[in-house]
Amino acid sequence: MDEFREQIEYLERSANLSTSIQDVQTVIDQLTAMRAAIAAAPHSAPLTLAKNQVPIKDGLDRAQKNLLPIYKGLGKYSKSLDKKFKDKPLPSAENDALSSHPSLINRAIAMHLLREGQFDVASTFISEATKHPVQPEPTAGTPNPYLHESWEQDLANGTFDSQNLQQQFGEMYHILHELRTMRNLRPAIEWARNRSDVLEARGSNLEWELCQLQFICLFIGRDLHGVPIEGDESNGPLRAWAYARSEFGPFQNRYAKEVQQLMGAMAYAPNVLESPYRRYFYNDAAWEEVASSFTREFCSLLGLSADSPLYIAATAGAIALPTLLKLQNIMKEKRTEWTTQDELPVEIPLPPSYHFHSIFVCPVSKEQSTDANPPMMMPCGHVIAQESLDRISKGTRFKCPYCPGESQPKDARKVVL
Amino acid sequence: MAELTSTKLNAESHLLLDQPLLRMPYALSRQNFKSAQRTLEHTSIAVTKDLSSLAKSSTSNSSSPAKTLQDLDAILGKMQGLKRKLESLHDEETKLNHSATARIQHLDELYSMDSLADVKYEHWSRVRLSRLLVDYLLRSGYIESASHLASAKGIEELVDVDAFVAAHKIEKSLREGRSVTPALNWCKENSQGLKRLGGNLEFELRLQQYIELVRKGHEGLHGAGGENDEEGDERMEGVGDEEEDMAGGVELDDLERKRKVAGAEKLMDARIHAKKWLAPGSADTEILGKAAGLLAFKPWDPVEPYASLYSPSRWTHLATLFLTTHHTLFSLPSRPLLHIALSAGLSALKTPSCHSAYTSSSANASSSTTTVCPICSTELNELARNVPYAHHTKSIVESDPVVLPNGRIYGRDRLRKFNEKVGTERGWVRDPVAGVQGEKWREEEVRKVFIM
Repeated sequence: MDEFREQIEYLERSANLSTSIQDVQTVIDQLTAMRAAIAAAPHSAPLTLAKNQVPIKDGLDRAQKNLLPIYKGLGKYSKSLDKKFKDKPLPSAENDALSSHPSLINRAIAMHLLREGQFDVASTFISEATKHPVQPEPTAGTPNPYLHESWEQDLANGTFDSQNLQQQFGEMYHILHELRTMRNLRPAIEWARNRSDVLEARGSNLEWELCQLQFICLFIGRDLHGVPIEGDESNGPLRAWAYARSEFGPFQNRYAKEVQQLMGAMAYAPNVLESPYRRYFYNDAAWEEVASSFTREFCSLLGLSADSPLYIAATAGAIALPTLLKLQNIMKEKRTEWTTQDELPVEIPLPPSYHFHSIFVCPVSKEQSTDANPPMMMPCGHVIAQESLDRISKGTRFKCPYCPGESQPKDARKVVL
Repeated sequence: MAELTSTKLNAESHLLLDQPLLRMPYALSRQNFKSAQRTLEHTSIAVTKDLSSLAKSSTSNSSSPAKTLQDLDAILGKMQGLKRKLESLHDEETKLNHSATARIQHLDELYSMDSLADVKYEHWSRVRLSRLLVDYLLRSGYIESASHLASAKGIEELVDVDAFVAAHKIEKSLREGRSVTPALNWCKENSQGLKRLGGNLEFELRLQQYIELVRKGHEGLHGAGGENDEEGDERMEGVGDEEEDMAGGVELDDLERKRKVAGAEKLMDARIHAKKWLAPGSADTEILGKAAGLLAFKPWDPVEPYASLYSPSRWTHLATLFLTTHHTLFSLPSRPLLHIALSAGLSALKTPSCHSAYTSSSANASSSTTTVCPICSTELNELARNVPYAHHTKSIVESDPVVLPNGRIYGRDRLRKFNEKVGTERGWVRDPVAGVQGEKWREEEVRKVFIM
């Protein structure tokens, strides 16, 4: 990269058109002077003209010659580029499965823009995309061509309701803004309270976390909207106490321990800083945690993942590309094709945070479990794939490949990971 | 055997998607430079020539001083024009160099990170996604959205909105305006690069010009609907379609005669055009033969291959050909980079569970202890249906897996956490997928499961 930078700097600094422009200006000056001379002495015109032929031609030649450094600079830069990308060909896309579903991509982009809070861009995009729907251009190797799905159709039918989605995400960003920058918990608490039964069923304690934070806020001297109250800090604990009495009722059962802890802190009210409760009260990370758990819950209730899938997929794609490219080269060398269209032929190392589902690979057949070939647990607790089980048992009593346990095939149970 | 999971970031191999990022400004710089070189050369030759002829004529007696001054002013004007042109090219040059610097800077950031888990990498990757999106939007012709997104994200220097706008204009002029002039101008500007590339864009454009001339000629001679020409142009001899009864006996009025003359002229033009641009050797003889045959067949004759040469679908073909040529010339991949990144990413992330009929225990929307998998999320689910799923050679399961009586497997820790959160009574467990309304079992019924 440093090489590139130096070369561009060179182009910017010295090898640019400004020298030639100066040369042109010099010629213009010469011509102007000549014109003045001829205007002053018309009789000497032939002489003046003849005398100036060579200097002007030289001037123009110089202007052309001064382009040379640019030419050389660009050539050098081009060579460096070639060198850098020599072993990095542009990924070819012969198996571009996505090209047959342009409207699905458009939909994914629209949702990405909405969830990123780029509402203006999203509305520009939606109107442009509705006006000019893209045509699918399946590549030769595409396994399943166009399926007659249409995002524009969805828009018209209301199954893709961008207005609704925008409204939802609008609300989310409003609440997050209040939470993060204004330190105002009210909108978030209201949102969580309206959905408390759903959240509770999910095992989410978002509402409690928010109320707890509200209590702390009051305790250290802010009002219900997160605005610090000047002057009477001593009243903070009292207000918090009042808040706890009025709001903590529903939490008594599930969060008895936490409520007790907060109440215990009241005893240290004059000097929380040096109390064992300090970590509850002065914890800035708590805000970020609450904000991110809010985002996660919000998206989950919409059936969406918390981070933009487009972002995760594109990043994973960039991580996977070198491996896939290597594979492509090897296959080209050996003149082989993929034998399985359902599964990639190589393993792609992704960071652990990119593993979402548990994966079951049968220890016997080394195949991944699918709906047709699910994992089966034998009574001894070992799990193998259905097909392996059938093969080993042949329908009769058999021994587990991993322990001395014996069992009947019918005793094996399907498990879900 | 490669590592199963890895957070190591190898910047060098990570740049696969980013070649066009640097190639594009380079190609534009080159184009800019060539244009400067050409202008300078042309003007220099013209000015030198003008000056020497002026010097010569000034010696003869016929020239007046006023005339000399006038000629000098014309030369000065040319030079001023040259200077203006060079200055605007210089501005463009500066802009391009700036954007190249910004791009190098952007890519260089990658070299300062060595972990994919780095927060800086996440930020970088988000910028990259925005770049890919803008690229996709530009290619799809959603120019407004593209520039809107670029400015919203502040990445104008990392994307090539202007270049795509220009290309799109030319493409549109072919597809909708049915005009080859802008495309031919573009060919002229990039003649050198195109020569190196090979390809037949310019030939195809010239051929289209020829076809249009011939079409106009036939329409003039025969009337647009296919009236027959009684006078029998010798070019038409040997063509066996006679539709005499249609125009039989109608006297040609003046207007029609004029039209016919114009038509004949057009056909003449077409032959001249063909001689100039479609000379033997400029393409294989087969297509040249077909082109010659056009003179004999009228646009409404249902005779192949001439009908398809006359067909309006050729314009679409030309538009596509132009785009492909343009992308190759600027080292842009033929498919949007977003497609390339996404299809690789979808496959890398996809598991058999993503389109399974059973709710996965490990990633679902029904409990707060799990996150929704990006492939299962509405945005990508349908899109991922047709891509292969990732290959794994080892099971990846939560630590200390246990199985519930209903066959669902969870990590013991996560199961405990969930049950604490929903407040299940002591000694009992619930299935996170079924939630608080679901069945509950005694803790003793939860069994350890062994996954090798």
